Amino acid sequence: MAVKIKTKYGVVDISSDVISSVVGSATTDNYGVVGMASKNQLRDNVNSILKNDNYSKGVVVRQENSGIAIEVNIIVSYGTKISEVCRNVQSKVKYNLETMLGITANTVNVVVQGVQVLND
Amino acid sequence: MSVTEIDSNQFRKMIKAASATLKNNADFVNSLNVFPVPDGDTGTNMNLSLASGAKYVANSGADSVGDLAEALAKGLLMGARGNSGVILSQIFRGFAKSVAGKRVLDARDLNDGLVEATKTAYSSVMKPTEGTILTVIRGAAEKSRQVYSELDVAALMDAVSVAADDALKQTTELLPVLKQVGVVDSGGQGLAFILKAFADSLNGREVSIEKNEPDSQEMDEMIDAKHHKSVQSEINPEDIKYGYCTQIMVRIGHGKEVERKFEYQPFYDYLAKLGDSLLVVNDDEIVKVHVHTEHPGKVLAWGQQVGDLATVKVDNMRLQQEDIINQDTDDQPAEQEIERPNDTAVIAVASGDGIGTLFNSLGVTDIISGGQTMNPSTQDIVDAINNSHANRAVILPNNSNIFLAAEQAAKVADIPTTIVHTKTIPQGMTAMLEYDPSAKLADIKSAMEANLDYVKSGEVTRAVRDTELDQVHIKKNQFMGIVDGNITVTSSNMIDATTQMVAAMLDEDSEAVTIIYGQGANERESQKLKDNIMKIDEDLEIEIHEGNQPVYPFLVSVE
Repeated sequence: MAVKIKTKYGVVDISSDVISSVVGSATTDNYGVVGMASKNQLRDNVNSILKNDNYSKGVVVRQENSGIAIEVNIIVSYGTKISEVCRNVQSKVKYNLETMLGITANTVNVVVQGVQVLND
Repeated sequence: MSVTEIDSNQFRKMIKAASATLKNNADFVNSLNVFPVPDGDTGTNMNLSLASGAKYVANSGADSVGDLAEALAKGLLMGARGNSGVILSQIFRGFAKSVAGKRVLDARDLNDGLVEATKTAYSSVMKPTEGTILTVIRGAAEKSRQVYSELDVAALMDAVSVAADDALKQTTELLPVLKQVGVVDSGGQGLAFILKAFADSLNGREVSIEKNEPDSQEMDEMIDAKHHKSVQSEINPEDIKYGYCTQIMVRIGHGKEVERKFEYQPFYDYLAKLGDSLLVVNDDEIVKVHVHTEHPGKVLAWGQQVGDLATVKVDNMRLQQEDIINQDTDDQPAEQEIERPNDTAVIAVASGDGIGTLFNSLGVTDIISGGQTMNPSTQDIVDAINNSHANRAVILPNNSNIFLAAEQAAKVADIPTTIVHTKTIPQGMTAMLEYDPSAKLADIKSAMEANLDYVKSGEVTRAVRDTELDQVHIKKNQFMGIVDGNITVTSSNMIDATTQMVAAMLDEDSEAVTIIYGQGANERESQKLKDNIMKIDEDLEIEIHEGNQPVYPFLVSVE
């Protein structure tokens, strides 16, 4: 699935991989996010933290009537205000999509798949 | 007054001072905000977060610093807002962890607390971004580690505060986005304010302590989960005092309407009376105005007095607000077009914007541009079907010449496609009246085709050469009335031709006449035509639409 953007010179197709990368990077930039998690933990085996190059496994991009809906799966750090971290993820993802790709996300759903407790 | 130990009283004062300082400087911190999302609320967020922490400290009856630090960390966690608020809560969580159980803090404890604060803050993130508040706390802790053994807490805190300022200055270099704008990191600045307030408080320097407890409204905002909702959507559109965001750019001294020389102050003063959020920027050639007003017209007229209007932009903010509240996503950039999957695509072949609009209003999802003189190819139709991303498609060729191409297209299209054999635009419109998107494809087709015979379609166009057809002599440039494909009347006068054609189409059962005028005709002529038809039968219902179609000045349907 790709998002099409029409310009006066032609059409730009942005594949969902690109969107995933932008979303993934925006997400992990946020304080309190330890990493991306796989959207399909059973299939992809345990709640491992995803590496840079497979952010797309943690991001679901869905086409909706008038925009796109994003789902990001994350692991957060223990002791942070999880709701606030998620809200930061939402606004940063939305902002980066708009500035980098010119795409407006209707919804950014954040799924917290795990909490990483740090050893003191 | 210098202190060598931080006791609980001292700690309370420090928090109070920090909270007050942050509150006083929230706007300044906001103004620095370019990272990570430049929405200008870092100062507000940090202020509200720390205020929540301060509130917990104030409400705590503890007399040990360890317990108060714990209360502070708890309050910050509960009230954390924004990225910077979350980091701040982590810094003080680390601090609290380190000083837990301590009744008073000496320089060593303070140092340990700062080091632990840094560690905790860094550990909560996968890839710490340097050039942020993290850099500032790290710089502060590093300095502390170097010098704590020689200093008392007050002197140490001073040194730490200076180190924090130094680290803060580096943030501009560390983050490209900050360097671009030439500012220091806003969250880092917030933390520097806090450390400065701590130092001032410990050294007995004057800290402007206003009443720093959050008022009840702020507190509600923090605690209530609803604070996550955008404040914007809380505004009632009717509460917007000035409804139009008006922006103009005037080329000073150009144009016919120029009545006066541009002078900034009088120019500004007049606009100031018209509304708020006023911004007037000018150089020698251009003045730009942004104002929220009820009278965009007055703004334009005012601008025209000093020059011509290069650009004008007026937005109805009440409407925008309604849209925000309705969660409307119309705020997407205009050029962004995302495919909209419909279950059933209805594709009509038509030419002329007006006809397209008419069809769209009847439920047609896609228009293929085409018609008598430019029939779409099979490929055009296939593309339209496949690009619709629907599950099935209905095609209205609106011209018998396109039937074959449409049949071909239906065979090779990716989705089930049926063709409603409409020969004319009016037939296509009549067919749309019977369109039921929930029905089966075959039923849609039969329902839509059922009424086509009851519709007579007339088209008026100009002959391009002399000819004789169907026993009708036609001279070049004469107007021909074509009824259901047969040339019926000719006349050198367009209205006459159309009137005669309609007369030939009418019979006893006729009830409604729809006139669509295109290029080469206008509304006045349509009205004339309507009057003529009324003379023939005054009981008819006559509708006039603008179709803007080429070639045919008039399309007429009689039902």
